[in-house]
Amino acid sequence: MFSPETTIIPRALRHLLIGAALLILSASVALAAPAGTVVGLNGACVVLSGGARNAAKLGQPVQVGDTVDVPADGKLKLRMTDGSVVSVASGTRMTIAAYGVDGAGQRQEAKLSLGQGLLRAVVAPVDRPASFEVSTAVGTAAARSTDWFVEASSNAMQVGVLSGSVAMTSAATQRAVVIPPRWGARLETGRDPVSPRVWSQAEFDAVTARTDVR
Amino acid sequence: MTHVAGPVVRWGAGALAIAAAVVLGLCGFPRGTLAYTAAGDRLFPATAVLPQIAPGDEFYNWGWTVPLAGGPIGAPERASNFAAVYSKTITERLGITVKDTWMRIDRVGRSQLQGWTNFEAEIKYLAIDSQPHEFLLTLGLDREFATGAQRIGASPKGATEPRVYFGKGLGDLDIGYLRPLAVTGQAGYQFADAPPRGDRVNLGFVVEYSIPYLQSKVNSFELPEIIRGLTPMTEVSIGLPAGRSFGAPTTVMFSPGVSYAGEGWEFHLAALVPATRATAAGAGVIAQLHLSLDYLFPDTIGRPLFSER
Repeated sequence: MFSPETTIIPRALRHLLIGAALLILSASVALAAPAGTVVGLNGACVVLSGGARNAAKLGQPVQVGDTVDVPADGKLKLRMTDGSVVSVASGTRMTIAAYGVDGAGQRQEAKLSLGQGLLRAVVAPVDRPASFEVSTAVGTAAARSTDWFVEASSNAMQVGVLSGSVAMTSAATQRAVVIPPRWGARLETGRDPVSPRVWSQAEFDAVTARTDVR
Repeated sequence: MTHVAGPVVRWGAGALAIAAAVVLGLCGFPRGTLAYTAAGDRLFPATAVLPQIAPGDEFYNWGWTVPLAGGPIGAPERASNFAAVYSKTITERLGITVKDTWMRIDRVGRSQLQGWTNFEAEIKYLAIDSQPHEFLLTLGLDREFATGAQRIGASPKGATEPRVYFGKGLGDLDIGYLRPLAVTGQAGYQFADAPPRGDRVNLGFVVEYSIPYLQSKVNSFELPEIIRGLTPMTEVSIGLPAGRSFGAPTTVMFSPGVSYAGEGWEFHLAALVPATRATAAGAGVIAQLHLSLDYLFPDTIGRPLFSER
């Protein structure tokens, strides 16, 4: 039988261990939270999940923390848990940094990290402010409800908007521009965003074709 | 100008010629059509005296005032005006612009004269848009209708003017901090409908240095907010009589100024510095406000009439 003095320390240690375990568990749950499903696929696309590299398959779920890698001859389309649709063009590498929905399926946060390449986001509307963000090496583009394109490379990004509006912010200068429908804008490393301009139909046709997943 | 009658006759031939020259020299130049004409990452801001170079969806207005020579009782001593322009795209590359101007002539020892100048409409087609080379070329056809008040110097005869516009940014050249420089310009030949109005050649060019381009394409400096949106520029506008002039003079105007770009609007302030006595008697000023309808109302009045999107 343990004396009270001897049981105090194990009990505290036990609480500490339980707390740590819960913390680790909650973190792993957050990382493994479902974010969407592969609903369109061309070519040998890859999903990197928990350090494992697996070929993407139709119907396959993707989690927060996963990275999709679309080869030069591939395309991929995801339906996210809030109903948003993300079409990923060839030569694109994108990570789902955060994606949360409430019990009603309404988006609470959505953060994608675009290393390089092009994606189209048809963002589902929500009842309250809940932005949909895509971050790149040079800045961030954020929208609420809209249909838009974002393309990134190591030293630049550009956004084109079909509907709604998108705010593009420079990571270096924190300067932002608001891009309305039919307009687009560019951002280069370490600089302010270029002033938006009207995109031509040919420009939209080009990015639409690159993200059109059948 | 034998066609003039009514109160203008009392000015005397010299005064009338001055007023007509002012109308020709300042109102006669084609006007800008949009505040955001772009070729790739190059935006050509609105100019105050010379035109922008492509069709667009925009409403803008301006006012200017210049001193005139004055002289005996009844001679014009100051001209001022206020104008409104509406531009509408029909397709992505084709647009139409309409313009009218209200003008006031102050006279020595007499009451002022006021009225509308001739109504103008122009159709424009963006023929070349080279984004990598920041180059635009637009073809235009302007029609001036003889609707204006002759008492303020408006011609009783209309005119038609084919025009060529261009814009070239220097951002594609390896010239460091000179990359924000750009040149735009226009050339047109104005065919008068009938004597006593003569034909004219209208020329102009603009040299501008874009601070927004400097910040976004060359180097971002820690500049005050108002400086970040500025584009200093100098416009030069020239009007030359062609063939039989019927007394119409050569007009040359320098317009050094600055444009500030906001989100969907621009404000431009410039001096009007005449280079010939026939243009004006001294320096004046022009102020202009542009509203970019396709930025402010992209889903309604700001889109082309015929558009796939």
